[in-house]
Amino acid sequence: MQSNSNRDLAVGVFVLLGLGLIAYLSLQVGGLSLREPGGLVLFATFDDIGGLSPRSSVRVGGVKVGRVESIDLDEDLRARVRLNLARDLELSVDTAAAIRTSGLLGDQFVALEPGAEDELLVTGEDFAFTESAINLDKLIGSVVHGEGLGGGD
Amino acid sequence: MTEVDEESGHVEARGVALAFGRREIFRDLDCRFAKGRISVLMGGSGTGKSTLLRMIGGLQIPDVGSLRVAGQELVGLEEAQLKAMRGRLGMLFQNGALLDSMSVFENVALPLREHTSLSETEIAERVHGRLSAVGLSDIDELLPGELSGGMLRRAALARAIVMEPEILLCDEPFSGLDPPNVSRIEALLTHLNRDRGLTVIITSHHMATSLRMAHRILLLRNMGCVDGSPAQLASSRDSAIREFLGQDGAEYLAHHGHELEGAEG
Amino acid sequence: MTRGLANLGAATLRQIEELGRMIRFGARIVMAASRPPFRWRAFMAAVYDSGVLSVALICAAGLTVGFVLGLQLYNTLVRFGAEDSLGTAVGLSLIRELGPVLTGLLVTGRAGSAITAEIGAMRTGQQLDGLRMMAIDPIHFVVMPRAMAIFFVLPLLSALFVSLGIFGAYLIGVELLGLDGGTFLASLEAAVEFDTDVLQSLVKSVVFGVLLALIATWRGYSCEPHSAGVSRATTSTVVTASIAILLADYLLTALWSL
Repeated sequence: MQSNSNRDLAVGVFVLLGLGLIAYLSLQVGGLSLREPGGLVLFATFDDIGGLSPRSSVRVGGVKVGRVESIDLDEDLRARVRLNLARDLELSVDTAAAIRTSGLLGDQFVALEPGAEDELLVTGEDFAFTESAINLDKLIGSVVHGEGLGGGD
Repeated sequence: MTEVDEESGHVEARGVALAFGRREIFRDLDCRFAKGRISVLMGGSGTGKSTLLRMIGGLQIPDVGSLRVAGQELVGLEEAQLKAMRGRLGMLFQNGALLDSMSVFENVALPLREHTSLSETEIAERVHGRLSAVGLSDIDELLPGELSGGMLRRAALARAIVMEPEILLCDEPFSGLDPPNVSRIEALLTHLNRDRGLTVIITSHHMATSLRMAHRILLLRNMGCVDGSPAQLASSRDSAIREFLGQDGAEYLAHHGHELEGAEG
Repeated sequence: MTRGLANLGAATLRQIEELGRMIRFGARIVMAASRPPFRWRAFMAAVYDSGVLSVALICAAGLTVGFVLGLQLYNTLVRFGAEDSLGTAVGLSLIRELGPVLTGLLVTGRAGSAITAEIGAMRTGQQLDGLRMMAIDPIHFVVMPRAMAIFFVLPLLSALFVSLGIFGAYLIGVELLGLDGGTFLASLEAAVEFDTDVLQSLVKSVVFGVLLALIATWRGYSCEPHSAGVSRATTSTVVTASIAILLADYLLTALWSL
């Protein structure tokens, strides 16, 4: 019986370890949020989305709050991006959406910069202020012509 | 219905045929095994002794024919129905067939744990009772691999009778054992038959032992079977039978020839 | 010519028949698992044999594969100045492909073959017939707990493999080659998504577990009852299960990217 209970203990530790690692891979590495699916759906329209694609992440201050659900062209031939965000996210109506790149060659994501108004965005609304992806060619061009890097805002 | 069947035999095969691929084992086999008797199945190797035993246990289904065990037709039963029937059977396999990952005690206790709701103490009592009946003690915690051939066979016998079967099937219970162990097993089987009225069916090559303990001998040959009491067979005029029984048969006849008149009446 | 064609036909039919028998066997395992009592003690013993005793092998293999991936991918990425993406490259290849597939293959060799050999030896030693004569279903008593254990441990071992692989690549990239640890983890966590990558990994390891459990137990249960038969069945488990896992991996990857 002694060896039996030792064996059961080993099995218990093994199962806990395995489940723990699955949880780690899902939650931490995979970024699975137990609060998902979000529910707050907002739209942002850009002239140029660069390399943004469905499933790209949406961040506020670098923290992931949702993802790009789909990208379509609207009637003015601009890119209309549908964002699915955490339900309890409170974004003021003057929040700006910008397409940024992590690192020089990394993935592109939508960065949200909260504004100052009291009124909040609700599902289905559009962002009033957007900023397109930084085009690397244009960027290099602007550096070469001495315009500096600050012209993004 | 049941009564008639028991008169004609506790186990009864009629018109049984079986072939493995092109190898024909039985063709129109008829035989019966009387209730409360010890029957020994003999025959050269490859005549299907073990196969017949396996058919009685429902482990092998005949191609055609009928096989009745305790009045119940076996052929055409589903596995679940066979299960119920097997409660009345105990089987001692040639190599014991004990589960080698479990201790001797757990092996013998297994049928009780599976099919009864006895308490732990009742189980221990029954298991130890059976183990001491076969002359084994202080081996509860040993694994089957740690037993000698004779002890293994006896432990397996304890398991085969732990559920109190009506019919005990023994596949080559004497093979590979030294003389003391052979007589021990012989004595155990004879006791079980006499004290509990168990129907015992044995396959054996062991001529002297078989002649000594059998009430009836069934000789399998030519895909069928010849049967009779030991004395009848030993005095048979069929030269093939005499040859098969050999020296042991002649000796048996010399000692027991006088029983023949009584047996034939 | 016609004869060769006829032989081919007969062989194909035999294989299909064998597949049918195996699937029926699988159905019997599932039915046995749903029929109480569930054999917890036998299941725990099988999880111990197939799972706990495989941990050392999986750890060693995962760590080594992580080292190799770290080194190889670093050497490639550094040419494009993209060595900061090492975490992404390592994480995606381990989670999506290498983790579940290599774990499946290793467990096939380590535990699948052992299960085939064990059940085959029990068949050869008439232990399965012995159980049937005691009115105990050998599928319920012997096969089901072992099959369930394989099915249960494969995702756990796969997660262990992936985690150690990532750890191994981290050691190489960060400790040896001097990448920034935060960057490595950030690029890993940014690229790996639950519902495309981690879920795919889990689904794969579960499917591989089902395949291996079925093949290993069936080969043992249906082996020819002598020692050469057991050894043939064991070899056949390793070959069949490996091919089945690789094939299933391809199919699942293709389905996932639809």
